[in-house]
Amino acid sequence: MAKVKAICFLCILTLLLSGCWSKRELNELAIVVALGIDKVEDEFEITVQIVDPSEVSMRQASTQRSPVISYHSRGETIFEAIRKMTNLAARKPYFAHLQVVVLGEDLAKEGISDSLDLIVRDHEFRKDFDVIMSHEATAKEVLNVLTPIEKVPANKILNSLTVSEKVWGSTIAVNIDELVSTLSNKERGALISAIEVHGDKRLGIDQTNVQRVKTPVFLNYAGLAVFKEDKFVGLLSEGESKSVSFLSDKIQSTIEIVACPKQGTLSTEITSSTTKVKGSFQNGKPKIDVQINVEQNVGEVECEINLSKNKTIDYINKKTAQGIEERIEKTLEKIQQQYQVDVLGYGDALHRADAKQWKKIKKDWATIFPDLPIHVHVKVTTQGLGTMQNSLLKKPKEG
Amino acid sequence: MSISNNIDPSPSLTTDDLLNTSLAKNIKVIQNTLGHSNDIIIREITIGEAEPHRLAIISIDGLSDKTTISDSVIGKLMANIEEEQEIEITTINQYVRSSYLTVGDVMNIEHFTPLYHAILNGETVILLDGFAEGIVTSTKSAKDRAVAEPSTESVIRGPRESFTETLRTNTALIRRKIKSPNLWIKSRVIGEVTQTDVAVMYINGIASDKIVAEVLARLDRINIDGILESGYIEDFIQDSKNSMFPTIYNSERPDVIAGELLDGKVAILVDGTPFVLVVPALFTSFLQSAEDYYQHWIISSLIRILRFFGISLALVAPSLYVAITTFHQEMLPTPMLISIASQREGVPFPAVVEALIMELAFEILREAGLRMPRTIGPAVSIVGTLVIGQAAVDAGVVSAVMVIIVALTAICSFLFPAYGLSNTIRVLRFPLMIFAAMFGLFGVMFGIIIIILHLCSIRSFGVPYLSPFAPFIIQDQKDAFLLLPRRGLLKRPRLVNQKNVVRGHKYVVRTGRK
Repeated sequence: MAKVKAICFLCILTLLLSGCWSKRELNELAIVVALGIDKVEDEFEITVQIVDPSEVSMRQASTQRSPVISYHSRGETIFEAIRKMTNLAARKPYFAHLQVVVLGEDLAKEGISDSLDLIVRDHEFRKDFDVIMSHEATAKEVLNVLTPIEKVPANKILNSLTVSEKVWGSTIAVNIDELVSTLSNKERGALISAIEVHGDKRLGIDQTNVQRVKTPVFLNYAGLAVFKEDKFVGLLSEGESKSVSFLSDKIQSTIEIVACPKQGTLSTEITSSTTKVKGSFQNGKPKIDVQINVEQNVGEVECEINLSKNKTIDYINKKTAQGIEERIEKTLEKIQQQYQVDVLGYGDALHRADAKQWKKIKKDWATIFPDLPIHVHVKVTTQGLGTMQNSLLKKPKEG
Repeated sequence: MSISNNIDPSPSLTTDDLLNTSLAKNIKVIQNTLGHSNDIIIREITIGEAEPHRLAIISIDGLSDKTTISDSVIGKLMANIEEEQEIEITTINQYVRSSYLTVGDVMNIEHFTPLYHAILNGETVILLDGFAEGIVTSTKSAKDRAVAEPSTESVIRGPRESFTETLRTNTALIRRKIKSPNLWIKSRVIGEVTQTDVAVMYINGIASDKIVAEVLARLDRINIDGILESGYIEDFIQDSKNSMFPTIYNSERPDVIAGELLDGKVAILVDGTPFVLVVPALFTSFLQSAEDYYQHWIISSLIRILRFFGISLALVAPSLYVAITTFHQEMLPTPMLISIASQREGVPFPAVVEALIMELAFEILREAGLRMPRTIGPAVSIVGTLVIGQAAVDAGVVSAVMVIIVALTAICSFLFPAYGLSNTIRVLRFPLMIFAAMFGLFGVMFGIIIIILHLCSIRSFGVPYLSPFAPFIIQDQKDAFLLLPRRGLLKRPRLVNQKNVVRGHKYVVRTGRK
């Protein structure tokens, strides 16, 4: 009996003595929603955007305080810089709720691999955040802009990214895991969305930025940044980014504009798009076939056209397909000739098609890729015309 | 009303205990034994003119029915025997018994002990001079609370009656539901001083003989001065005395008890309390309400799932809150984290202290509301809502989320059809909160595993407490977590009942078409 009592006592002791060691109260945390990494004079400069919870929550009356606070610190490594930050921050930064990481353009040009190591290695980061690049601005400048509607700028950055990916197609939300796996593939280049700051960058920090109907300083996605290995080499424009989305099967919905036979334009809404990439070898030479099946609805008609005829629909289908194909070809040319990086993963497609042949050309992939024949075929079907048939412009003949 | 159950004329009594032939001596003994208490009425009368016989009519004021005594006992004796002339002295005893008493139930006794028991039970004893025996006549007063609506287990649809404090009324209420000759009652008198009547009821042929024997054996082992409520019995006969989980079910609804008896269970009725015990009790019985069986099975099933969800929530809601907000902040969606964090801004205590304070405050309020006279009850709830609901949050002592959690827990703990389990859950919340504060979700899981291990280890009269979940019995799932329609409930639960399992046969719908 004494033994049992002793064991019970020890169990209780172990419970009590070890308890609570990793406990953190909610009001001891500084919730970091965005992390910016810049390179300044051989040092990393990091910017963290920390939420002031009582300012963001709906319950309390606004006290004119900013909903987020950003802290900056420099260090030789990112880890050092983060810990150094406790010198000026009131609480220890808590990274589990990180929404977005912004990489500065200067850093991107030098290579991003080193800066991502801590983020991937540390257990506190949850690895479900997206990575973007600041274009023509530093990450610090991007994170120092207050945004209207979404009180937390990191949310605005993330929401714009995902919403525009969904309905417009010019951005691609890349989370850290995807980025790391792309970067670790030597034959591939990475693509991440790039954000720009419009307006006077120094004014974004001020609360007045969100007190006006039109915000003087705002954030805007510019397109996709192309990375060769881990270095930023160039930016694809909005249109080109859309083509890339088509090629990489990321389009969920977007708008295409078609010229009418006589004059005026007509826009269609892409409702679904599926892309199939097929790699093959002919006499040892690699070849890529891309088949894109697009479904669309007629969205807006600004010309005289009779939509009730099958012929017209065929015309629209053909024209849309043509438009998409042309744009894609131009984009591909830019990627192949100008940047010379396989951002679309065609190497992987060839690897899947014929592993043996791929091994032979793997070494020379960098030189083969620019001249790789890529055949794109787009097939468009129109499914709906909206809630009316013909345009208001085309008046019915009154008898 | 029967008296045979209450008085045990067994001959284990000693010769000292035997009645005397002298009436005066008997009366003296009785008065001495009962301490000359003034509520004992001893009426001495003389009957017969030719050969007068002295006799005494003994009863206790308040317990026996005075009208019955005067009309059917004294009245008859005095009116008739005067005219009779030829009664032989040796047979007068028989004569009185068979020809004059117009009460329903009459019995002979020869000892003092059953005599005391009889009069203390409200019967009337007639002692004749010259005979060493008495006649017990049933004159129990019907002073009894009326059968009222159940106050602890209310239903929308279902019978509106509940047990009362009188054992006989209670057995009658059950008999009225089950009119089978196989509904048997075994009686015991427990309590050296209180001499409380306890009845064990079961349906012979359906209930397991082993369980009946075990119940009786356990009852017989009870040796105590008094039984004032069925809770005394419950504590004595339950399997695991230290378990906080109730292993004996109780109800004050005759329909519930009748249903349990039909399942093959055994009911224990105790005089003086409307709460009837049922054994064996399974964990699932505490999550089932009588009304489940009276409404559509889909609705009942959904409500049972809701209850199960409620019990889990009542048990773990505060500890989950503590665990997640102090250890696993990454588990919350960001907007929720920010919202909770903003409310915790400025709260001076760690989450666990906050939770303990609020839960304690609620328990205090609940207990206060329960014990207060009914007229003060509303005052308690007003102070409670204002103080812990509003003022504490406004003052920044606790966060609003915590109030929500406490309220949620409280409401969930009112969800149980059986009050006993609700109390257990109430208590277990606290250790779980402490586990949560020390180890986060790991601690909560640890606590839950201990609880489940414990539940798996206990039994109620030989039946595993968690059956039909552990051990898993597929046939009995029909009336556990879910409730199948009546056509699926044609067999009785397996572990409780091993013989006579078939409840009924398939109901064939006759459409009338040829």
